[in-house]
Amino acid sequence: MDVLREYWLFLLPLIIAQFALMITALVHIFKHPTYRFGSRAMWIAIVVLFQMIGPIVYFVFGRGEDD
Amino acid sequence: MNHFFVFLKKELLEYARTYKLLILLTVFIIFGITNPLIAKLTPDLLANFMPEGMTVTIPEPTALDSWAQFFKNTQQMGLIVLLLVFSGVLANEISKGTLINLLTKGLSRQAVIAAKYGAMLLVWSVSVGISALLTCIYTVYLFPGDPVSHLIFAVFCMWLFGAFLLAVLLAASALAKGNYGGLLLTGCIVVVLFSLNIIPGAAKYNPIALAARNMELAAGAAEPPALYPAAGITVLAVLALLGLALAVFRKKEL
Repeated sequence: MDVLREYWLFLLPLIIAQFALMITALVHIFKHPTYRFGSRAMWIAIVVLFQMIGPIVYFVFGRGEDD
Repeated sequence: MNHFFVFLKKELLEYARTYKLLILLTVFIIFGITNPLIAKLTPDLLANFMPEGMTVTIPEPTALDSWAQFFKNTQQMGLIVLLLVFSGVLANEISKGTLINLLTKGLSRQAVIAAKYGAMLLVWSVSVGISALLTCIYTVYLFPGDPVSHLIFAVFCMWLFGAFLLAVLLAASALAKGNYGGLLLTGCIVVVLFSLNIIPGAAKYNPIALAARNMELAAGAAEPPALYPAAGITVLAVLALLGLALAVFRKKEL
């Protein structure tokens, strides 16, 4: 826990940024039923399990069209 | 000029709406914070993973290690994410046919190419700027007083290399078909550039040098004039690539 106390100045913004990315991706997944490929469950798993990389992959490859 | 700014604004709005802006800014912010932290914590982490009773002497990390992380991350993950995010830069609008309306209403094709490049360059500049600034702030905080030389020029070289890759991507997207054709062609060109370094004397003029020698600059092992030839060639290449993109795009059937 020492590491946490010593480096919270780094870890806090880092965690906020990671979560912002994850939550934006999750909101988008729940609002849109269609994806370029894959299913809703698959994308949720990818976004939650792979920090940072997951949401990027979703927005670049998985995101369906808005209209 | 007026068309340029209208289309530039439209591009930036689209980046915000399609999450491109969010992805790039967040990724580069995360890198900016992680770089100094990784440099600082690596010896502790290694020590933790070592078996009991084994001692390794790891040199105390310095500000240079933090910047080494910055250049490594920006060059690998950063540029890959940048190219991935912008991979559909021309293909998306060509395949959806949304450009036809604008072009028949008098928007010049020149303005389209210029604004697309301008918008990508702007986003890349802001991203790499924020990342460098965060790395700088946290590095000074964690490693106060460590000397780093030619830092601004080293970061500028990284930025110029990114600007070059974006021009390659735009020209490749104009040439290739489909969503990922441009990305694939860009990848091929980077591989060709890397292999050009085999030719004796070519490395000095190769744009790759801009992304490969940053740490030499920061460590004081190389002086900025060593990179002037590569930087000059890169600026010329960017202009030539934009010209090529425009020439191809002018003739393209939409």
